Amino acid sequence: MWSDLVDLLFQAYERFSLLPLFIEIALVFIVIAIILTISAYASILFRRYKAYVHAKRIAFLSPKIEDLITEQVLLNENLDKDMPIESFEFDKAALDNKIYKKPEVRQILIDTLIRYRKNFRGEVGELLRKLYIDMVLQEDSYKKLKSMAWETKIKALVELTQMDIPIADVTLLPLTNSRNPTLRAAARNAYIQLSKNEPFKFFDIATEPILPWDQLEMFKIITTSKDIAIPNFARWVSYSTNKSIVSFCLKLIAHYDQQNAIPTVVGLLETKDHYFRANAINCLGKLTAESAEPRLVSMYNSQPIICQIEILKAMGRIASGKYLEFLKHEFLYSFNFEIQMNAARSIIKHNTQTSRAMLNELVETTNEDNRIIIKHCQNPLIKY
Amino acid sequence: MPNILVIEDDDIMLKAIRNILNKDGFNVVTAKDGKEAFEMLETAEYDIVITDLMMPYANGLEVVSRLRNDSNKRNVGIIVVSSVGNEETITEAFRLGADDYLKKPIMAGELLIRIRKLLAYKTSKALFVTKRK
Amino acid sequence: MRVITDFFTKGAFWDTIAMFYQYAVFIYGTSLLMCYGLLAMMSLANIRRYQKKNANVDYNIIVESPLAPGISVIAPAFNEGVTIISNVRSLLTFNYPKYEVIIINDGSTDDTLDKLIVEFEMVEVEYAYREKLNCKPVKRIFRSTNPAYDKLSVVDKVNGKSKADASNAGVNISAFDYYLCTDVDCILDKDTLIKLIKPFMDEETSTTKEINGDIQIQEDYKRVIASGATLRMVNSCDVDEGLMIRVRPPRRFLPRFQEMEYIRAYCLGKMGWDLINAVPNVSGGLGMFDKEISIKAGGYDSLSFAEDMDLVTRMGAYMKDNKKKYSVKYVPITLCWTEGPTTLKVFGRQRSRWGRGLAQLMNTHRKILFNPRYGRMGLIVFPYHFFYELFAPVIEFLGILFYVYLILTNQINWPYAIILIVFVYTYSVMITTMALLWDQITFKYYTTWGETIGLCLMAFLEPFIYHPLIVWFALKGYWDFVLGRKHVWGNMQRQGLGAQKKITVSAAILLKDFLNNPKRADSLYMSKSIEVTGTVFDVDKTPDGKPMIYLQTGDNIGGVQCLFTRNANINKGQDVTIKGICSAYSLEGVVVKDCSLVK
Repeated sequence: MWSDLVDLLFQAYERFSLLPLFIEIALVFIVIAIILTISAYASILFRRYKAYVHAKRIAFLSPKIEDLITEQVLLNENLDKDMPIESFEFDKAALDNKIYKKPEVRQILIDTLIRYRKNFRGEVGELLRKLYIDMVLQEDSYKKLKSMAWETKIKALVELTQMDIPIADVTLLPLTNSRNPTLRAAARNAYIQLSKNEPFKFFDIATEPILPWDQLEMFKIITTSKDIAIPNFARWVSYSTNKSIVSFCLKLIAHYDQQNAIPTVVGLLETKDHYFRANAINCLGKLTAESAEPRLVSMYNSQPIICQIEILKAMGRIASGKYLEFLKHEFLYSFNFEIQMNAARSIIKHNTQTSRAMLNELVETTNEDNRIIIKHCQNPLIKY
Repeated sequence: MPNILVIEDDDIMLKAIRNILNKDGFNVVTAKDGKEAFEMLETAEYDIVITDLMMPYANGLEVVSRLRNDSNKRNVGIIVVSSVGNEETITEAFRLGADDYLKKPIMAGELLIRIRKLLAYKTSKALFVTKRK
Repeated sequence: MRVITDFFTKGAFWDTIAMFYQYAVFIYGTSLLMCYGLLAMMSLANIRRYQKKNANVDYNIIVESPLAPGISVIAPAFNEGVTIISNVRSLLTFNYPKYEVIIINDGSTDDTLDKLIVEFEMVEVEYAYREKLNCKPVKRIFRSTNPAYDKLSVVDKVNGKSKADASNAGVNISAFDYYLCTDVDCILDKDTLIKLIKPFMDEETSTTKEINGDIQIQEDYKRVIASGATLRMVNSCDVDEGLMIRVRPPRRFLPRFQEMEYIRAYCLGKMGWDLINAVPNVSGGLGMFDKEISIKAGGYDSLSFAEDMDLVTRMGAYMKDNKKKYSVKYVPITLCWTEGPTTLKVFGRQRSRWGRGLAQLMNTHRKILFNPRYGRMGLIVFPYHFFYELFAPVIEFLGILFYVYLILTNQINWPYAIILIVFVYTYSVMITTMALLWDQITFKYYTTWGETIGLCLMAFLEPFIYHPLIVWFALKGYWDFVLGRKHVWGNMQRQGLGAQKKITVSAAILLKDFLNNPKRADSLYMSKSIEVTGTVFDVDKTPDGKPMIYLQTGDNIGGVQCLFTRNANINKGQDVTIKGICSAYSLEGVVVKDCSLVK
């Protein structure tokens, strides 16, 4: 029987090998295609089934978890009583429910707690953190940090930072130099938030650019974490060779209105990169750096359009009134529409008696095109 | 018991605010998007409306503007609760007539205090108006 | 007859040609199928990468951030009066902190503009408008007096007979550095802006280099110039006031085939190309662009029949000409639902246009083909499109003719022919099924497994029904291109979302309904396409010389007035059925415009 089968296969192969090459190839591919199609179908159905089971579990579990959080945290009797968070006690019986022993349930619990933490800070936020610690969920997160898969590591980092749980430097620091940019960025964000001594260490050593998206995250962490001591960002503006860090520091300088950074930022006006210089000018405008105005005006004529526009914008922000004539000149005699628009906007932004008189005079004396530009810029209905 | 309408598209936040406010003795009605919000505003009177900004159907600014342009509902207290943190949006909300703006993550205690203050202010203003009449 | 066939079948010369042709076609076909297989693998790798990378991303971060870049949403509208309000409303509820919405009324002849003005409390403003990109003149610009709608601008412009022209006008007044180009009747996800701006903000760039012993950062900046996402058919989905409630594959066959084809094109094609930074095109239905580059590249070309691919090609060429690195990114999530044509006529017109567009594009940009100066675009994207997209229909058509010839001359080796056909068939089913599996990996859009399998099964029918159609219409498009025929840019007849039924009513009842209950009649008929039956009472001409007729209603004062767009032969006393759009009601009666004679 066995030998019959072998025989049959052998015969089949012999017949097959006599066929022309392209028919052989075609036959092989037919078999492969049929197998792959069938397995694709199986995979689709299996995935759907798994998703269905998971959705059912979530539907069953989330009300329970939400009830737990509502009872233990949101409606906690001791809120608003000026009690230190550490002395709060949760209902042991509720926390010890055996469904919270299963790893997948614990994961849903962590995710839900994070969602609440994103909506609440203050006492409720602290209490959510305490619930996380009292249920020993940080151990789950630490375990994920040891995983081989980088995306699991990131998940752990996100959980721990969201819950403000310290991570040992020996674990975190190697990750901040990871070759994977996504993991590296996540580790750095975690370090900035969790490290108590030198959160801005990476500004000194990072050699690759901080991507704009990571800047968003960093900006949020820096501006919202209450424990971070805000340094003078001018430090990196003068020393760092990493342009993205310098640009990012310019944004932070403007955000924190660090007036003492003005001389350093003025120093940046020498740089050769137009986009970069435009950033520096923008920062000076936001700092309302009146002292930088003469410098900006003197360099104006040698600048490309993007920098000229930034200079005009800055003068509108600074609004010292000393260069209204300059703005008027640019408005009247520039051939560039964008420059005219920005000059007009900056005159309007002054909003002083002189500037208003100048505008009235311009509206009456200038040509129709220019008049419409002023009307456009003055119109409160036009937002951008 | 003061009536409060809470408009919020994140169901977790919606339930949480409802629970917190209920506990403090407020009557809470919820709406999960702009469309529902407008329906709820038609059906009942509220002392305070708490609204999110970015929601399906209509954004929170539209809710604010509709309330302020309706002579019957002009005096409803409006608190905007949103994760949007840019200055323009916040000033825009106030310009349209919001009474308060809380940025997420919020402090539950702060929300309650602001609601009470707003209620107290509205009643004193209403008293003042009736006295003048 | 016999003599002729003998000449063809017995000549050694013809044998060689036939042999050569057979092998060439086999190699061509196999290599094409291998390309598909390769793309499928690359696509899977890329989808997985995207998912891993974004699994833990908190998208809300950009909503909170003051650093979020501004985005201008540009949506041209032409005679969209039926759905314009709800669609604009949904555009105003994006999850994004800093954006504006620009609606371009492209010379609509219906009430699109009026509806916008009333609903959003708009007024005309004095606007300093300058053309950066060529387009037909802009007549007026409107802004809302209600600050709740301060994101909205409406541009009223002269009809430019193309979407490209309208989009250019939108770019001209846009305020931000990035713009999203879409159609006003597309249903967009509320996270569209976040998901599409992210690729601009996290393209991995640059490396460190050691120069004279100092570690220095070498600028190796790769600029993202465009990003796009998957499109699907809205036809059978539940949509409420411009908001997607429930996704479903289309019930009707033609759009369902299209849904399958779209998923294959995105999940297999675009995502695969994205992996090696060789995305050829960002769909016209939804795409985000870097404004600076697209203006420098000249914006949309209103003469192009494939203006979306043309723009991406020109932007890429601009970057390469200036020796700058760039990339075009794709995200494997569906963010946009568009209406697919449901009739063969409209579908055929669309596909012929695409075919013609491709031929035109290859012709205009022929200097890029095989030009190493244009990098991947010249060496991968263009050759692929040239051989496998442009030529495939031609070769396929010739192949069929050849088969027919072989059958007629009885030369065919049936077993081999059948094996080859089965090979191509099973392979194409496999590729499509894989694409649908990848799609399931990214996101489970369909609620039931029945819907999913229902879509998958279309793969078995596609080679017999849908594919021949595509080939035929593509060839027709090439033919149009060769002849350079003037193409009437037919605006796709919208069914209106939520499938409207055809309304047929007699003139007398139409008027009565309006007299008795204007409000109800308004919701029943106003702005809708209706068919009115009645007897012609009087025939007249409008000021611009088009026919205008009155239908008898049995009422002494009021009538039903029908305005025609084309000349029609109608006499007094005739019984007629007229199709048109119910556009106004006053004491004198009901006005139906854009009329045409049905009977």
